[in-house]
Amino acid sequence: MTAMVPASAGSSRREPALGAVEQTRRKHGDQLLVGRGGYLDDHEPPGTLHAAILRSPHPHARIRSVDASAARRCRSVRAVVTGAEALSLAEPLPHFFDPSLVGGRTTTVRVLAVDKVRYVGDPVAAVVADSLADAEAALDAIDVDYEILPAVVDAEDALAEGAPTVFDEWGDNVLIRFPFAEGDPARALAMAPHVIADEIRIQRYQTAPMEPRGYLAHWEPTGKLTLYASTQIPHPLRTNLSTIFGLSEDRIRVVATRLGGAFGHKFNGYPEEPLVCLLSRMTGAPVKWVETRADSLLVGAREYIHRFSVGFDDDGRILAITDRIIGNIGCLATWGGWSMTYPAGMTLPGPYLVSDYDIESIAVVTNKAPWNGARGYGKESATVAIERMVDLVAAELGMDPVEVRRRNLIPPERFPHWTVAKHLDSGDYRGALDKVVELAGYHRQRELQRDAREQGRTRGVGVAFELTPEGGDFAGSYVRGFDTSTVRVSPSGAVTVLTGVTSLGTGSDTGIAALVARELGLTVDAVSILQGDTDSCPYGFGNFSARSLATGGGAAVLAAREVRERMALAAGVLLDTPPEGLVFAGGHVHTADGGRSIAFGAVAEQVYRRAYAVPGLDQPLLEATKVDRPRNLTHQPDEHGRMSAYPTFPYSTHVAVVDVDAETGQVRLLDYTCVEDCGVQINPRFVASQIYGAIAMGVGGALFEELPYDSAGQPLARTFTQYLVPRANDLPAIRLDHQCTPSPYTLLGTKGAGQSGVGGAAASLASAVNDALAPLGVRITTMPLSPPTVLRAIRSGGKP
Amino acid sequence: MIRTSLRYHRPATPEESTAILVEYAGDVVVLGGGTMILPMMHRAEVEAGHIVDLRGLGLATVTEEGRYVRIGAMVTYGDLLDSDVVAREAPLLRRMAGAITGGNQLRNLATAGGAACYGNPSSDVPAVLVALGATMCLHGPAGERRVPAAEFFVDAFRTAVGGGEFLMWMEVPRLVVEVGYHKLKLCEGSGPIVTAAVVRDGGRTIATVGAASVTPLRFDLTSCVDSGVDTVDELIRDGVVNPWTDVLADGRYRRDVAGAVVRRAVADLREG
Ligand SMILES: Cc1cc2nc3c(=O)[nH]c(=O)nc-3n(C[C@H](O)[C@H](O)[C@H](O)COP(=O)(O)OP(=O)(O)OC[C@H]3O[C@@H](n4cnc5c(N)ncnc54)[C@H](O)[C@@H]3O)c2cc1C
Repeated sequence: MTAMVPASAGSSRREPALGAVEQTRRKHGDQLLVGRGGYLDDHEPPGTLHAAILRSPHPHARIRSVDASAARRCRSVRAVVTGAEALSLAEPLPHFFDPSLVGGRTTTVRVLAVDKVRYVGDPVAAVVADSLADAEAALDAIDVDYEILPAVVDAEDALAEGAPTVFDEWGDNVLIRFPFAEGDPARALAMAPHVIADEIRIQRYQTAPMEPRGYLAHWEPTGKLTLYASTQIPHPLRTNLSTIFGLSEDRIRVVATRLGGAFGHKFNGYPEEPLVCLLSRMTGAPVKWVETRADSLLVGAREYIHRFSVGFDDDGRILAITDRIIGNIGCLATWGGWSMTYPAGMTLPGPYLVSDYDIESIAVVTNKAPWNGARGYGKESATVAIERMVDLVAAELGMDPVEVRRRNLIPPERFPHWTVAKHLDSGDYRGALDKVVELAGYHRQRELQRDAREQGRTRGVGVAFELTPEGGDFAGSYVRGFDTSTVRVSPSGAVTVLTGVTSLGTGSDTGIAALVARELGLTVDAVSILQGDTDSCPYGFGNFSARSLATGGGAAVLAAREVRERMALAAGVLLDTPPEGLVFAGGHVHTADGGRSIAFGAVAEQVYRRAYAVPGLDQPLLEATKVDRPRNLTHQPDEHGRMSAYPTFPYSTHVAVVDVDAETGQVRLLDYTCVEDCGVQINPRFVASQIYGAIAMGVGGALFEELPYDSAGQPLARTFTQYLVPRANDLPAIRLDHQCTPSPYTLLGTKGAGQSGVGGAAASLASAVNDALAPLGVRITTMPLSPPTVLRAIRSGGKP
Repeated sequence: MIRTSLRYHRPATPEESTAILVEYAGDVVVLGGGTMILPMMHRAEVEAGHIVDLRGLGLATVTEEGRYVRIGAMVTYGDLLDSDVVAREAPLLRRMAGAITGGNQLRNLATAGGAACYGNPSSDVPAVLVALGATMCLHGPAGERRVPAAEFFVDAFRTAVGGGEFLMWMEVPRLVVEVGYHKLKLCEGSGPIVTAAVVRDGGRTIATVGAASVTPLRFDLTSCVDSGVDTVDELIRDGVVNPWTDVLADGRYRRDVAGAVVRRAVADLREG
């Protein structure tokens, strides 16, 4: 592992490649393995009090009155607060992403519901006591007088004339409509030799992080507020707290604790964040609240209906598509999950070259609990829909679904390629498809399928192509596409990276450390990384949209280069040689001929001890802070009305093989192959683990994860007994390979690897199951493909 | 969190246990492995002021008693898996215990007796006990009371355990000649959706279907076991009159698959 100082150090963004990035295992992975990671709930300063939250048992009701007087007398209760009381103590909560910024409706959300509850679980009052048990017991003593209102739980019901309105002032239940259209799809459909109209329904499900959310606040009498939070986004969380409490931001410290899974579930914007702060202020003590699994399972993340038409010619070329997407986003809240309806439409028409299309994605509010972000971010929904369309085209023409995809994929020479809301960076889509076909032994799988069918088995082979826009940047919100990192060298030579991006346990922290280590000729062990503490880290936007390396990683590299330049100047003085030819490698700085060297730490020490005293040692600032961002963002519509809020476009191809048990509807996933292209891989081990995890998530969503509600608006899944997530034995060993088309728009050529796989897995399983059932004349358009759904379809014999 | 003030009792004799259960009737729960009752108390689905731990009664053993294998109420799934006696004399129990969804933590804590007393229709233990013709030995104010497993499961989450009573032992007849078993679940993490245990004893073949209905159902397959698929399916379908519905699967699904599950248990029996 060598690191060179190129003559042009720092002068160009795209420098010749240095040595390889050191491939290590996850930093502190050993601590995680032995259970010493330490999560939010492991923090408990002396004197910590515990909060419990009274939640609405009704999906929709007016609050006539709340009487909390009896609760105040319960054992060890220190404070009780109701929505009405909190009005004067906390300003409205800022939205994670206010829909009014993009022309949608909005609402004012308070820390606790004041006059109306709009979903089961809506927070109404809170209690603080010495123990959680006492706090929860006191909840029973709070008397709320509700006037029950008619509720609406189904999105199509919510769109119907005369439906109950979730927000009366809106007049209907449409939060926003996102149109994405190009060409003349009506005409193209009318002229198309073939047109298929169909639909697919995707159930409400979420990401089920193993560690639920939690917050621990201490508002000290000095006026300093510290919040430990199981959050992905500490800095904007701090900004929000400042707004809510009118407390200067510099007096607030937010520390994002180690995350036991997040996936978007831990974006900021939840009422519990300010609530624990308020309760700490009221009691003068640290106050903790941790989400129960039942609370956690309230958070929605996906639920869509796609109604589409696809027009195509005899050769399987897609001429036009329309898709009307309805997202049941539950109630609007300040957690920003509703915004996933944007990528759900924007991603279309996916990887395919379609010049005429008309997509509309509609976010509809209902009396279900709100969504928060979720890995896939709506793109997985678009993938399921477009891949279904392609499969239908193939089935109608009796063509191989791989061939139909090949014919329609955007060819490599078309990049960069504009659609109305995407400027696709780079790719070799056909290459990735060919590669997965080869790796999966696709044609052999088809032969095996024929054999299996002859033996009476119900075997299916599914194919999917997933396009995964990443790195989203939404000016006007705090969901931004740039980030900041600092690199600091101490006198001993220890290197610390402080960055505004956070790590969810994906290994991006280790990746950033390895990048900095490479720039400075050190090993990863010599570089530590500090994230998530707003007192020490530069302001940043945390983790979302697989952005860490393309933003904070790029910034850290730029900062390391600046520090290296100064270190090179110093080393040049100390070695009495020109700095240009110096080589940083193996923890030393070497002369160009390799004849002499000085330890990296010794350079740092001499700078601190002798700067300004020794001639030439006059750059003692061994610290640099840089911002970086992917280019390729178009914030304002261009002359064709096109814009692009996502700078990078990783993609993946998938082949799944399933057996369906025709007597029970059980789907067994026999074989799975994926080829992904996330541009340059900084550490293939971490990329692979992301893809594996995303595929597992997509398989769970395709087959059984579901958050059902009854027709009255009560959520039915409250524990993992009812919400089923995949286990190891549900999954085959995944065959994975990579392809690399670097992003021309990011410093390191990366594209993001945190989400690819969810949509591809869901789509390839839907494809495989439908392929399996085709000889029975049966199609399934409702997800998940759980045994009851599959069996019902089989028994229906194809009749609706 | 458990919201009530809780008094913990650890009686040393059955009589003492019953006395506590009687004294605090309505405000007391029995603690087996605690894997079901404690989470329920944490979620405030069960509230009680007293909890009676049976660990002091020596009920964690599996012994051979004449024609029976006697399984103490505190025997865990893990104990069943470890027991040579069970492997030899009641292999169906071993099969059942090995297919429980929970991992090591659950197997080392959860008891088969607790599962029986909980009486969840969607569980594995009840139908297996019924299939094996087990006897449930209760202790109560009137001393010991023996209830056949087939009468023990009264309704969903309701058993024959009466006021002041608790389960001491389960007696399983030794040497059932041949058994077959099949369990259908939605995925690895799912509880059982339908189970079938088929026992051939002498000339008779009896299937016991679990999780399809509120309590286990018995079907005499002797006359139709060699008939076609449809005959068996029809018999089972007609017998599952009041199928059980929960979030994972509705009654219609359970009814639709019960026949296939029984046939697979028969095939399992035949394959030995
Ligand atoms: C992760 C997980 C996976 C599981 N997987 C499965 C599965 O695959 N199949 C399945 O069938 N079940 C499954 N279960 C349920 C499991 O079998 C039960 O939780 C367990 O067997 C209950 O036994 P326990 O000893 O823990 O009972 P406890 O929780 O202690 O008690 C359960 C109930 O029975 C009562 N009780 C207990 N012992 C006695 C007694 N001796 N006399 C009178 N009353 C008594 C208690 O008062 C309580 O009402 C699973 C549970 C978990 C948590």
